[in-house]
Amino acid sequence: MKFISIAKKDFKELIRDRRGLVMILLFPMFFMLVFGFAFGGMGQTNQPHMISVVNYDTGATMPGTGEQVNFGNNLTKILKESTYPDSDVHLFNITITTESEADQKLKTRDVDAELIIPPNFSQSEVALITSTLQQQTTTIQSPNVTSTIIIRGDTGYTGFGVSQGILTGVLEQYQDKLMSEIQNAVTGNPGVVTDTYLQTKVESIPGTGSFTTFDFMAPGMIVFAILLLTTTVAAALTREVEKGTLARLKLSKMTSFDLLFGGLIPWSLIAAAQVIILLTVAVLIGFHWQGGLYTLLLAILVGIIGGVASISLGMIIAAFARNDRQAANLGTLISVPTSFLVGAFFQLPQVVIANLWGQPFQVYDLLPWTHILNALRSTLTFGGGWDTIVYQVGWAVLLTIILFIIGVVLFSKNRLRAEN
Amino acid sequence: MTDIIMEAREVTKDFGDFKAVDNLNLKIKKGEVFGFLGPNGAGKTTSINMMVGLLRPTLGQIFIDGESVEKIEKGTIGICPQELVLWDFLTCKESLMLMGDMYQVPKEELKKRVQKLLDDLFLQDKADTVVSQLSGGMKRRLNLAMAVVHQPDIVVLDEPSEGLDPQSRRVLWNYIRSLRDDEGKTVILTTHLMDEADRLSDRIAIIDHGKLLRLDTPANLKKEIGEGDVVEMKLSNPDKNQEVINILEDMPDVHSVVEIEDGLNVRALDAVGKLPQIIGQVETTGVHVLDLSIRQNTLEDVFIDLTGTGLRE
Repeated sequence: MKFISIAKKDFKELIRDRRGLVMILLFPMFFMLVFGFAFGGMGQTNQPHMISVVNYDTGATMPGTGEQVNFGNNLTKILKESTYPDSDVHLFNITITTESEADQKLKTRDVDAELIIPPNFSQSEVALITSTLQQQTTTIQSPNVTSTIIIRGDTGYTGFGVSQGILTGVLEQYQDKLMSEIQNAVTGNPGVVTDTYLQTKVESIPGTGSFTTFDFMAPGMIVFAILLLTTTVAAALTREVEKGTLARLKLSKMTSFDLLFGGLIPWSLIAAAQVIILLTVAVLIGFHWQGGLYTLLLAILVGIIGGVASISLGMIIAAFARNDRQAANLGTLISVPTSFLVGAFFQLPQVVIANLWGQPFQVYDLLPWTHILNALRSTLTFGGGWDTIVYQVGWAVLLTIILFIIGVVLFSKNRLRAEN
Repeated sequence: MTDIIMEAREVTKDFGDFKAVDNLNLKIKKGEVFGFLGPNGAGKTTSINMMVGLLRPTLGQIFIDGESVEKIEKGTIGICPQELVLWDFLTCKESLMLMGDMYQVPKEELKKRVQKLLDDLFLQDKADTVVSQLSGGMKRRLNLAMAVVHQPDIVVLDEPSEGLDPQSRRVLWNYIRSLRDDEGKTVILTTHLMDEADRLSDRIAIIDHGKLLRLDTPANLKKEIGEGDVVEMKLSNPDKNQEVINILEDMPDVHSVVEIEDGLNVRALDAVGKLPQIIGQVETTGVHVLDLSIRQNTLEDVFIDLTGTGLRE
């Protein structure tokens, strides 16, 4: 297995070149720190997020008591009253509007997000209460009623990303609280009225109450670090050409696959290390990491895919660069603008070029790192599991494979054949 | 034909307008040490790179054992490049093991070979030292070891003793001889060191401006430009060097007169006997001989005779 020997060799070179390794790992950390301090909300006063609520809830009748309830109004009230932890500042500035009005306000960015409560919201909550009660007393199940709350907004707007994160957290807590109130009622707290079910105060929960712009940006920094691998890989491969060590290998029985696949392994490990180190740094300076170890593992997997994409781009650059300095310059020249294009620092305006499986496909979606970033954000910031990132990971893998093939073909053609 | 291991047939290499190698024809015999001698930029390395298949000729073909170089089995040739081509962060042993792996040498066999190479080239003490911490001479020796770890039939050495001290050079020369004598390898080496070419090579090709000027054994080459002695002299007025050359060249039994760095080289049979006449002729131009020495003809004289004294870099 010659590619394993190449992988070992590359790994030893990486590890033993301490200065180079520190540079690779420290440089993105520096960016993470700067962005952390700039956007981590340190020393800043918390601002309420502007939310439009469209309440279509038609209400429902409580079983047993026959009381008319409207959980939509109740939820709106809770949102209005929620405050930042240990602070009097409200989380949201709620305006109740019609849907078209809310859409208009979204477009003019007068509001950060729009929350649409469906007509059957109360009915589904009542059904939930009923079935929970019945589970405890009888075996008969009442029909399940599903309702979906829609959070609408411009995904190209950072304000929406932040508000969406907080709203999701508050809604989850609303459900949890509701369930625990029902359980209390079942175990013998008669006299508990509907109102008390839902008079919930939002308490500090990680990632919602204190959600900051930095939480939205930290995954971008990780993607930026992964993209910077392009530069180091391009320089390392070009150095191999320039020093003549590649010519040595070319004369041997080594194939292009051995060299390039072998090289992928240690560099992928670096990408994984980047994810872990940068996430640690981010958490230390205030990133609210969601989902625990599971999301970390998902993030590492996603990071490795992104790393392979960057390595492939590095190969393409190394196929053309004359020396390692030129490769490093070219790498920077390409990877930094690419970081902006994929939205590592801020979202760019939407440029939809197609609609695939009901999802808008933007011009930036042609770059694998866009999907890497979306997946990292879904999992690390919003605590999403595998099912929430599978679409993004699918695209990232597909585009990375294409990029890798281009990289292998170009590098082999220009560097691994007899020179002209 | 069977004893010819490598053949260059009408090989030309152009880099844009520059002709690096011009219609090179030569045959290298199995088991010989073949020297490429030429000034810097003469086309030695370009020729070598084409011969091992790293560079495609513009015209012509290279054959190894009767087969086109593009089709030969990988591992037939081992090349030790002019520059140090090493991985700075691998140890000597790791570097050799890696190259052996790349040539698919079986693990056990490879371990033995690496051990022997480290012994033969006096690198055993530094087996586990990373390359960046080796001395220049050690790096050179490792550079050579990397070219032969897979035991190729043909070993190509591009200026192997560049920058070596006399001790390291001696180790290297002995090793090159043992490659030929003990292991039956064909060794092709390029050099601009006359001493090296003279002592090591069975045959020497002198090339300049990409052209093959002479191809013969060192002894024959020396004979070819005349047996005898060389008189080196410095004149009181170097401006008159050319005038003196013209006069001396017309003397009987004087083979050649060449201007060198700070004087003249006069090659003649029985130079000692002719010395009074030579000095007499020099003084007719009104200059005096400041310094004078007589020595035996060397390969360097052949080289200078063929390639001149102009700087090439």
